[in-house]
Amino acid sequence: MEKQNKKIYIILPAYNEEKVITEVITEIQKVGYQNIILVDDGSSDQTFKVAKKTGVLVFRHKINRGKGATTKTGIEASKLLSADIIVTMDADGQHNPQDIIKLIKPLIENKCDVVLGSRLINPKGMPWYKILHNKIGNLITWYLYGLWVTDSQSGFRAYSKKAFTLINTLGDRYEYDSEVIHEVYKYKLRYKEIPIQVRYTKYSMGKIQKQGFFNGVQTVYKMIWNLIS
Amino acid sequence: MTFHLYQILVSLIAFAMIYQGIKKYIQRKKGQTFLKLSVRIAVWGSMALIAVFPKFTVFLAHIIGIEGNINAVILTGFILIFLMIFKLLSAIEKLEQNISELTRKDSLKEISNKK
Repeated sequence: MEKQNKKIYIILPAYNEEKVITEVITEIQKVGYQNIILVDDGSSDQTFKVAKKTGVLVFRHKINRGKGATTKTGIEASKLLSADIIVTMDADGQHNPQDIIKLIKPLIENKCDVVLGSRLINPKGMPWYKILHNKIGNLITWYLYGLWVTDSQSGFRAYSKKAFTLINTLGDRYEYDSEVIHEVYKYKLRYKEIPIQVRYTKYSMGKIQKQGFFNGVQTVYKMIWNLIS
Repeated sequence: MTFHLYQILVSLIAFAMIYQGIKKYIQRKKGQTFLKLSVRIAVWGSMALIAVFPKFTVFLAHIIGIEGNINAVILTGFILIFLMIFKLLSAIEKLEQNISELTRKDSLKEISNKK
């Protein structure tokens, strides 16, 4: 979809999402976005085949490389396809496509370079341990990377051409989300936080590869390692 | 000067390890750098030196500034192990990034070729 002649690409990094992926893609298409890129991160289920049937652009990592690496592949694909604005969102259906317009609006109006979707501005319906987990993540991100944001772990974000050209992340896994914050700080990009709705379903909460306590510890370790190595 | 069995064993192993390193370096085998050879000589050489001349630890303790000579050896060992682990982790991290880059290039080759 082109809004004000802007080529907008929606990126979905996916890992074992065969059960919901068709619905997630259809929902995005229904709100008017046809440039959708799905990157399958070496899923062991039929995510790749199921996504292909929907007619969107699908790329596949032959081996699992993590959320950060997968999102970066989607961003690189969008660059090759001459995107003007990139929106990244989770492929498990927890993000509401109705919020996309809220994220891209400040970019179209050239009010900022990066828009961060935040679950914590209005955390209604969010489990308490998720709120706590995210607040700890924000604190660590601020301490290590120097920028305070209300949701450093959100995957629902939008980038202008300037931003996605400058931002270059190396983190393959969940540390990616915080690394983006570091890049925003490093390049002094203009950013805005927008409240987003999150739909915590039984499906999304039950996925084992989501950020848990041990994943969180690993993410912190990776963030520290990125700073000292 | 009498030698104990452990002194002979440690010296022989250290000699074999250093010999292997020099041989690989002279034969210019893949991945053999001067830095690697230097580290090998420093680590195994120090072990042989301490085994053959245990009094060297007193000198080492004096240089480091730690009273107990055994503590000085253990501390030096810890520092060396820490440096090796750091180097190893850096290498693993670099490999991980290379794998991701290769995986990315492979998945995007269809559109990259069209460009």
